Amino acid sequence: MTTLIENPPRPVGRARRILGRNPLGLLFSAPYLIFVIAVFAYPLIYSIWISFHDFFFTAPGFEADRPFVGLTNYLTAFQDPAVIRSFGNVGIFLLINVPLTVVLSLLLASGLNRIVHFRTFLRVAYYVPYVTASVAVVAIWLFLFNGDGLVNTVLGPLAPDPSWLINSTWAMPTIAFFVTWKQLGFYILLYLAALQGIPKELYESASTDGAGPIRSFFSVTVPGVRPATVLVLLVSTVTGANLFTEPYLLTGGGGPDGASASPVLIMYQKGLQQGQPDVAAAIGVVLVVLVLVVALLQNRFAGGRD
Amino acid sequence: MSRFQKILRGVVLFIGAVAFLFPFYYMIIGSLQTAPDPTIAGAFPNPSNITGENYTAINDRINLFQGLLNSGIFTGGVLLGTLVFGVLVGYALAVLQWRGRGVTFALALLVQVVPFQLLMVPLYVLIARDYGLSDNYLGMILPFAINSTAVIIFRQYFLQLPKELFEAARIDGAGEFAVLRRIALPLVRPALITVVLLTFIGPWNEFLWPFLITKEAGLQPLAVSLANYISNVAATAANPFGATLAGAAVLAGPVVILFIVFQRYFISTDIGSGVKG
Amino acid sequence: MKKRRAVAAAALIVGALALTACSRGGSGGSPDDHGPITIWYSNNEQEVAWGKQMVEAWNAEHPDEKVTGQEIPAGRSSEEVIGAAITAGNAPCLIYNTAPSAVGQFEKAGGLVDISSLPDGAEYIEDRSGELSTQYQNADGDYFQIPWKSNPVVIFYNKDIFEKAGLDPDDPQLSTYADFLAASKTVVEKGGADYAIWPAPTSEFFQMQFDFYPLYAAQTGGKLVVEDGKATFDDSAGDGVGEFWSTLYADGLAGQEKYTGDAFGDGKAAMAIVGPWAVSVYDGVNWGSVPVPTHDGIPADETYTFSDAKNIGFYTACVNQGTAWDVAKFSTSLEQDEKLLETTGQMPLRADLLDTFPDYFAANPAYAEFGDQAARTVDVPAGPNTVQMLQAFRDEWSQSVIFGGKDVTQALADAAAKIDDIAKQP
Repeated sequence: MTTLIENPPRPVGRARRILGRNPLGLLFSAPYLIFVIAVFAYPLIYSIWISFHDFFFTAPGFEADRPFVGLTNYLTAFQDPAVIRSFGNVGIFLLINVPLTVVLSLLLASGLNRIVHFRTFLRVAYYVPYVTASVAVVAIWLFLFNGDGLVNTVLGPLAPDPSWLINSTWAMPTIAFFVTWKQLGFYILLYLAALQGIPKELYESASTDGAGPIRSFFSVTVPGVRPATVLVLLVSTVTGANLFTEPYLLTGGGGPDGASASPVLIMYQKGLQQGQPDVAAAIGVVLVVLVLVVALLQNRFAGGRD
Repeated sequence: MSRFQKILRGVVLFIGAVAFLFPFYYMIIGSLQTAPDPTIAGAFPNPSNITGENYTAINDRINLFQGLLNSGIFTGGVLLGTLVFGVLVGYALAVLQWRGRGVTFALALLVQVVPFQLLMVPLYVLIARDYGLSDNYLGMILPFAINSTAVIIFRQYFLQLPKELFEAARIDGAGEFAVLRRIALPLVRPALITVVLLTFIGPWNEFLWPFLITKEAGLQPLAVSLANYISNVAATAANPFGATLAGAAVLAGPVVILFIVFQRYFISTDIGSGVKG
Repeated sequence: MKKRRAVAAAALIVGALALTACSRGGSGGSPDDHGPITIWYSNNEQEVAWGKQMVEAWNAEHPDEKVTGQEIPAGRSSEEVIGAAITAGNAPCLIYNTAPSAVGQFEKAGGLVDISSLPDGAEYIEDRSGELSTQYQNADGDYFQIPWKSNPVVIFYNKDIFEKAGLDPDDPQLSTYADFLAASKTVVEKGGADYAIWPAPTSEFFQMQFDFYPLYAAQTGGKLVVEDGKATFDDSAGDGVGEFWSTLYADGLAGQEKYTGDAFGDGKAAMAIVGPWAVSVYDGVNWGSVPVPTHDGIPADETYTFSDAKNIGFYTACVNQGTAWDVAKFSTSLEQDEKLLETTGQMPLRADLLDTFPDYFAANPAYAEFGDQAARTVDVPAGPNTVQMLQAFRDEWSQSVIFGGKDVTQALADAAAKIDDIAKQP
């Protein structure tokens, strides 16, 4: 239901065709556009260019040969089993993190929505991990999940051996649980907000029809927050694919034979430590393309009419 | 819902909240201990093991106050840029028709998808070499100056506002800028708070970029100093673990307090307007 | 619509490229310029103390050529920081923490001054360091780094733990692999240590310098891991070292998880494999030191080890290069080297160390061992791809030796093959 917006003086004729109905929009957006071009578009295009050349960073004014090498960097990157493994790791991460995030955050948000007592305390409690720096939280987790840390002490004989983060099967899942826990507050908030938009009448009519709490959850709540679900899926997928801080801090560079390396971590190692920004850029470009594909697919299948 | 179910729900949420808060509780306890105690008993404060010396130990090595100040300047700069320019863009995207509107929105979405590490070094060359802004607060702020998520939130929020309001103002002869200032801005105040809380977290906790762009220890935000401390210096402190936790507590403190104070605005503003579609 | 979108996108790209036009040209410095300079030194407490007094001493006599010193803004490894500084063109004149493994990369990026091009460059270095200087040349025999100090890696052991375990604290029998393993078992069983030895098991490229390399150097009498563009460690000596460490990890005598803090200093590990920089950290421990073990035992005065050298990098971003070279010479003079010894206990990379500073070593007999060991050290191979090579090695080592997921000999062979490939790159 769009209503036409009437504006007073407007550019006519050719000017209007070039600038659109209200060029003031362009003016308002100019600072942001300049910003995005300078700080995002330019480095992105430069990185893509780097990925197709034999490139390394040099001191200013130093001449260096930068021949075009086509897809060589891409081949080098993807013939390295460590790189393939890192994409696999991110896949494992997403398989654990995304469904867990969607389900847990919706359940918790529904609960928090109805609760009356201690509301502030509870909401703050779930949000606190999200707002604290990973740098700060990791220290605690390392201590808790250490070989002889609290978690293993409590678990006793059930504790995995070798311990969590040095266990090549458990390293990535441990990171997945950590990140899920940490990010949950943000998604709970998204759902909480969306839940405000479901009219009470729907729940009332569901209960008059005889639906219990579980039934009305599935028939009223879940469809009602569908747009939020799409958003949660998208944001958690993108954030997960770009995972860097947690592998970097929790497992000091890739864990037991690369079991917790992520593509962005490898990009960082290759680009900044080993002086191979060309290969790093190739990995980055592939990652971005993959994420865009996944995002489009999610939108297609889960997004419905939105 | 029966009373029993209500109580059950409350209990489950409470247990969950405790589980969520436990690591933070442990962080505070750990920062006050003389020696780290990984046993179960160590989870409960033991009066003989309490000390403030971890805080002094880490403050000796990295100036906590200076770090907080730098974090504040960095985050404040980003907030300023985002609030001022983000509102403009959000309004333009939602309310006005203009050439390039779709491209701009697509760009805002694309910015979210690309990992920062891909752009980091070219960005560093651009800002440190070409613009000469290394060791400079502006250089720190620049890559984050206008948060694209905020732009999307503002746009969604403006989309929810009834168009009749704007129409009425325009029919009265107001120019676009006046419409923005007198009608839209006062209404968007709740979204401003949402954006402040969301945008605050990024630069406050960011450690990779400020680490690259600043060489002088006196300019580094606390997240960077803390990360360096953990990597390099912690091993030489008397209780490295306690000192690290003390620094972490100081870093986490302001954000948690900020959130506790503002969280009620956050819930009621309905970023739901952004998620309803 | 599509066409207009394309136009818009093209306009953006043009705009983006236009922004690149405002890059500044490189700043030139020359060896004849004199004036104020900046230097970085490491953030090790003692080195900071040495650095400050050196700067003060210079500034007192050269008020027109003031030196500003600061600690390196380090992350996990200094390569990232220095590399970024080179790229941005704002590296300081001298960095007293330049790791030899990164020098090749920095040279390739045009970030380092060719010291051999200075009239007295090569001469000064070779006069001071003698034979030790040759391994710091690049492939063409030029110097792009000034050898400064080394920390010969040895085995520290906790005398109290050894005594408690029933071993002789003054003659701990750690010179052969068999003896070392036996002693390790004993100290864990009876000495109350969690682990016998606990080097960092993490995957950073430089960690191999503190478990594999020292023992390999000892076993082979001073071979580098890469010589003439080929990996050397795929031989019985290398395999032996791999199997030795593999046994330590498999038998639970070495920790697979990183320890936050210093394991030896906290009494969790009975031994440590470190250099003299650690002495000040261990002042609460009753320690002794022996050379690293070899398969059949080699006399202490013939054992080689890893040097863990840190050198002085001279960066092209420097404007007043004349002053920088003078400061470099000043800071490696006899007087300053002696101060370095006294303040930090680390070994200046000088020829005939024990004879040059007899008073110091007489007064500090604990360091005399290091002084002697310093003459028999090897460093990382030169070249622009060293970091990559070491990382490839570390990845294979981690998988096979530390976590037991792969056969050790096979892993070393694979690492050697990878490194041969890397060495072929320009």
